[in-house]
Amino acid sequence: MRIQLRVNEQPVEMEARADETLLIALRRAGFRSARLTCGIGVCGACTVLVDDLPISSCLVLAPAAAGAAITTAEGMADDDPVARAFMEVNAFQCGYCTPGFVLTAKALLSEVPNPTDEEIRHALAGNLCRCGSYVKIAKAVRIAAASIR
Amino acid sequence: MTLDARITGRIEYAQDQAVEGMLHARILRSPHAHAKLVAINTAALPAGIVCLTRDDVADLEPLYGPMVKDQPIVARDRVRHVGDVVAAVAARTPREADEALDLIEVEYAELPGAFDPVEATGDSAPVIHEGLEFPPDLRPDGRNVCHRFRLRSGLGRDGFAGADVVVEETFTVAGAAHVPMEPHATLAYWADGRLHVITGTQTPFNVRRDLAALFRIPEDMIRVLVAPMGGSFGAKTFMRLEAVTAALARKAGRPVRTVLTRAEEFLTVNRHPARFHIKLGASKEGTFVAKSVDAWWDTGAYADCGPSVCTKGGYAAIGPYRIPNVAVDSRSVYTNRPPAGAFRGYAATQGVWASERATDLMADRLGIDPLELRVRNLLKDGDRFATGEVMKDVRFADCLKAAADAVSWSDGRTNKGIAVMLKGMQTPSRTGAALEIDADGRIVLRSATTDMGQRNEIAQRLLAASALGLSPGHVSVGPNDTDLVPFDTRTTSSRSTFMMSIAIRDAAADLRAKIADRLEIAPEDLVLDDKGAGAAGSPSRRLAFTALAGLRGDGSFVTPGGLDPDTGQGIASSHWHQAAAAAEVSVDSETGVVTIARLHTAVYAGNVVDRPGAELQNEGSTIFGIGTALLEGIVFDDGQVTNGNLSDYEIPSILDVPDFTYDLVEGGEHSHGLGEMAVPVVPAAIGNAVAAAGHLVRDLPMTAEKVVDAKAAR
Amino acid sequence: MEQPDWLAPTSLEEAIAMKARLGDAATVVAGGTFTAILVANGLAQPRAFVHLTQVPGLDRIEIGDELRIGALVTHRQVERSDAIRGSVWASVAECFGQVASPRIRNQATVGGVLCDADYASDPPTLLVALGARVRLKGQAGEREMLLADFIRDHYETALGADELLIEAIVPRPPSWVSYVKFRSRSSEDRPCVGVAVAADIDDAGRCRSLRVVVGAVSGRPQYFPHACEPAVGRPVTADVAVAIGRRYSELASTLSDVRGSSAYRTRIIAVLVRRSLEKLVA
Repeated sequence: MRIQLRVNEQPVEMEARADETLLIALRRAGFRSARLTCGIGVCGACTVLVDDLPISSCLVLAPAAAGAAITTAEGMADDDPVARAFMEVNAFQCGYCTPGFVLTAKALLSEVPNPTDEEIRHALAGNLCRCGSYVKIAKAVRIAAASIR
Repeated sequence: MTLDARITGRIEYAQDQAVEGMLHARILRSPHAHAKLVAINTAALPAGIVCLTRDDVADLEPLYGPMVKDQPIVARDRVRHVGDVVAAVAARTPREADEALDLIEVEYAELPGAFDPVEATGDSAPVIHEGLEFPPDLRPDGRNVCHRFRLRSGLGRDGFAGADVVVEETFTVAGAAHVPMEPHATLAYWADGRLHVITGTQTPFNVRRDLAALFRIPEDMIRVLVAPMGGSFGAKTFMRLEAVTAALARKAGRPVRTVLTRAEEFLTVNRHPARFHIKLGASKEGTFVAKSVDAWWDTGAYADCGPSVCTKGGYAAIGPYRIPNVAVDSRSVYTNRPPAGAFRGYAATQGVWASERATDLMADRLGIDPLELRVRNLLKDGDRFATGEVMKDVRFADCLKAAADAVSWSDGRTNKGIAVMLKGMQTPSRTGAALEIDADGRIVLRSATTDMGQRNEIAQRLLAASALGLSPGHVSVGPNDTDLVPFDTRTTSSRSTFMMSIAIRDAAADLRAKIADRLEIAPEDLVLDDKGAGAAGSPSRRLAFTALAGLRGDGSFVTPGGLDPDTGQGIASSHWHQAAAAAEVSVDSETGVVTIARLHTAVYAGNVVDRPGAELQNEGSTIFGIGTALLEGIVFDDGQVTNGNLSDYEIPSILDVPDFTYDLVEGGEHSHGLGEMAVPVVPAAIGNAVAAAGHLVRDLPMTAEKVVDAKAAR
Repeated sequence: MEQPDWLAPTSLEEAIAMKARLGDAATVVAGGTFTAILVANGLAQPRAFVHLTQVPGLDRIEIGDELRIGALVTHRQVERSDAIRGSVWASVAECFGQVASPRIRNQATVGGVLCDADYASDPPTLLVALGARVRLKGQAGEREMLLADFIRDHYETALGADELLIEAIVPRPPSWVSYVKFRSRSSEDRPCVGVAVAADIDDAGRCRSLRVVVGAVSGRPQYFPHACEPAVGRPVTADVAVAIGRRYSELASTLSDVRGSSAYRTRIIAVLVRRSLEKLVA
C-alpha cells in the first residue's frame, strides 16, 4: 500500500506492506540511520522521532505512520547542538547506535532543557551501546544542554 | 564543522553495501543439535529462487576452519548444532528469501548429543566429528577433544608437596554473546574471473586464504574489501558468512548479500563456556609454591579458534605470578552447541576469573591481605614466567597499586576486591604498512587494520604523521582492500596499535630514505613539512609532494614465538597486556542484587596515541566486564539457546554502569592496545568484592539468584 | 504471501463491527508494540489489522470520583500527566513510568498492556491492588468488570470476540499505596517480581483494609485476602509484615524464566512483601 508521510520536513511516499515495519520501509526509502538490531524495541538503534517523540521504528507497522512527521538523524543540520556535542566529546565508537542516542537526547532536551545527570541517564537507558561509550554520551548531553541554554 | 557520518547515520556498514542486480540470501538452519541429514527436497521452490545445498558444493574443498578443517559450507551428511547451516537461498527480496525457506523439506534422523565439555570427553559420549585431519601442532587427545594444551614447569603437580597450604576450587564461566549492534553481513560476487567479497570482518587475509582453499583458486583471484563494522568484539573473525555467500553467488551468477538476524547471531558464534579446576599451594608466609590449572572449554560444534583459546586461557589462569611449579592441562572440546570463538577478553576472561578468585581463597586461608599476597608474588622484570620466557617492561605492581588506592584499600577491605592479570597478544604475528605519496601530494597509508569502531584510522594517521613530521590532516588512510594493503595477520588480540605503530614508523623511515634519495641528500638532513621536502641548511634544495608522487615507503614488523603444546614452553606473547581492577560493592543479602559502589581499572597503555580513542576503548572494555560479571550468560537447554534475543539476554544499559574511574598507565617504549585490558579483571575484582561481602561466588555471571545461593552455601 | 488488510475505522461502532466480522483473523492495533514484535518476527500472520488511532474518544484522562484512562492513552501520557501526578492516583503515574524505556512508553497504550496480559508487566499488579475495572464495549453493548477477573492467564483475557477495551477505571485509592518493581538483572529489565500494596490506615494508625498483590510471577496478578487479614484492625507491626510476606511466599504460584527460578521468586516475594509492609510500621 502507498503511505504518505513527512520525513525530515519533506513529503515522502513509500510503498509498504501492512505487515512491514516502519523501520524496513524507511530503510528501503534510503533513511538508513535507523537500524535493525534487536527487532523487539529494547535497543534503540531504530529510534526515530514521530511528531518529536522518540519511538522504536521496529515496533511501528508502516501504515500506522501514515501522515506522521518523522525525524531521522539524516535530517540534522550541521549546527545541530546535540550532534555537535557528540562530535566534540567523541561520544561514539562504531557509530551504529549513535543516531538513536542523538535523537533520544534531542527529544529529552526539548522536553527538559536543563536535565539532571539522573534524568539524562534515565532518558538514555533504553538505548544500548555495545561499544560502551556511555560515559562520553552522558557528557555530550550535558554539554549540549549547556550550549542550548 | 561537518558532522561525522557516524552521527548523521550516513556511514555505510557491511550490511549497507549493495551492487546492481544483487540478490538477498537467507539461511536454512538445523532445528536439531545432532542429526543425520537424510534428505533435502527443494522441488517446491518457485522459479527465480536460487538454492544452495550440499549438491552444489561437491566440486569444492569439503571443509574449512582457521585451525582445524572441520566445517562444511552447508551440511553434508550431518548437522552438529542447532543453527547449523543446512541450505541457503537467494531471492530478489529478503521477504521472498524468507518465504522460500519454508518450502524446503528436510528429513533428519536425530542422534544423541553432547552438551557438556567434561562429559563430551567420556567414553559414552557421541563422537561429533570423524576422520578429521589435524595439523601437526594440535593435540586432539581424547574423545571430542580438538586440542589439549599442556604446560609443565618445575615439578608440575609434584610441587604441591612443598606447600604448607593448598586451596582448590572449581569455577565456571558461561557462554556469552558478542552482540555487535550490526549483525554479520557479507556481499559477494564473481566478476572478471575473480571473487569479490565485501564483508564485515576482522580477518580479511584469513578469509582470503580460506576462500582460496575452499574454491581451489589462487589467493590473488580473490579480493576482500572490509566495510566498517557496527561492532564486532571478536564475532566477525575468521570465516562466517563469506563462504556460503560466495558459493550462492557462484550458483546464482549474480551478487548475493547475506545479513543475519539477531536470533541467528546467537547460533553463529559465541564466547566459550569454560570450567576450571584450580589448585594453588603456598608457604605459610604467603609465597606461592605450586599451581595447577585444569580447564575444559566448550568450543561447540566446530573448533574455530578453540585450540588457541584453550592455550591462551590456560596460561592466563596461571596469573602474573612467580610460581616455581606449575601444571596446566587445558582442553578444547567439541559439543553439539553453536561454535564458540574469539571474544573480547579472549580466553583471559575465563582464566582470570578462576585464577583470581583462587588467589583470594588463598589470601583468606592464610589471613593475608589479598593485595599484599599478590604483590609478594607478582612477576618482576627479569623473572621467568611459567612458559620460560623472561618478563620485561613489567607494570603489574603499578597497575595493582593504582587500582587498590582508588578504592581506598588501605582504609579497610570490607566489600572490596582486587584482581590483576596478564594477557597475551597474538604471537607469532606479522604486520605490514605502506605510505604512498599520491598524485595530489597527499600521503596515503595502506593498512589492513579493520574498522569496528576503535578509531584505528585516527590513531594510525597520527602515528604516520608524527613519524613523518607532518600534520595529521596531510595523511589519509586508503581503502581496506586486500588488493591494495600489505599483509597483516589480523585485527585481533589488541595487537594493531602495538604492531602498526612499529610497522608505520618503519614505513615512514623507508619513505624518508626514498625522498632523501630523490633530493640527493642524506636521510638525516631531510626536513618534511606539509608543503613538501627540503634539506636542512640548503633552502634551494626542495621538492613539493606532488613532485614526489608515486614514492612509497614500506614497513613491517614481525614477532616470533609460540608455545610447545606438550610442555607449554616458548614465547607466549611478544609483549604482555597488563591490567588490574578494584571494586567496592554492596550486596543485598536477601535478594542477591549486587550494586557497584566503586570500580577502578588500571591498564598499561604505554604511549597513548589517540587519547579519546584510548579512553573510549578502556571505558568500553570496563563496561563489557560489568556485563560479563553481572548480566551476561547464554542459557542452553541441551543444544538449544533459550535466551537468544536482547530481552532475555541483556547487555548493560547506561543505568547498569556505575560511575567508574581508571588510569591509563603510561611509559615505556611502545603503544599498547587497550581494547581488552579491563574485560578480564573487572569480573574478577567484582567477584572478589562480592566474596568479601560474604557470598562465595564461583560462577559467572553473578546473577542475583546465584549470589543469594552462594551465601546459603557458605 | 498475500498482504493483510489495514483497516482504520473512524468510530467505535465501526471498529467493533469490523472486529465482530473478522474474529480471530483480525488483530487490533493501538500502540502496536506487542503486535509488531509478533508480526515482524513471524509469530503471527493476521489477515487484517484494525488500527484504532483514528477512533475518537479513547485518548482521554478524566479525574473525578474515579480515575478514567482511555484505552489509547500512552504509558508516557499517564506518567507525565500533571493531573494524575497531582492527585491521589499519583502512584498510577509512577507505576506506568517504570515500564520499559521512554521510547516504548511513547507508543504502548493502557488498553494494550491490559489486553496483552503479558505476565512480566507492572501496571496490572498495581491496578489490581487498587481494585481497577475495565470497561468493554461490544455489539451487545457495554459492560464493566474487575481487572482481576479480566486477566485470566498468560495472554488470555475475558475480552469477547467482538469487544474492545474502552477504558480503565481506577477507584479512589486508600491512604497508602506502594508499588515495588524488583529487577533481578538490568535496570532495563521487566519485573522479576512486582509487589503492590493498597492499605487504608486510619488516623490512629490502625489498618482498616489491606490488599497486597504480587505480579510478574505467574499468568496473572495474585491477591490473597486471607493472608492480608492479620493486618486488619490494628497497626501494622514488623511481625505482621514478616508473617504476611511468608504467607504470600507460600501461597503464590511462581514460574521460572530468565529473570529467576520459581524457587528464587518464592523467596523474593517474602522479602519484598515484608519490606513493602515495613514501610507501614509506625
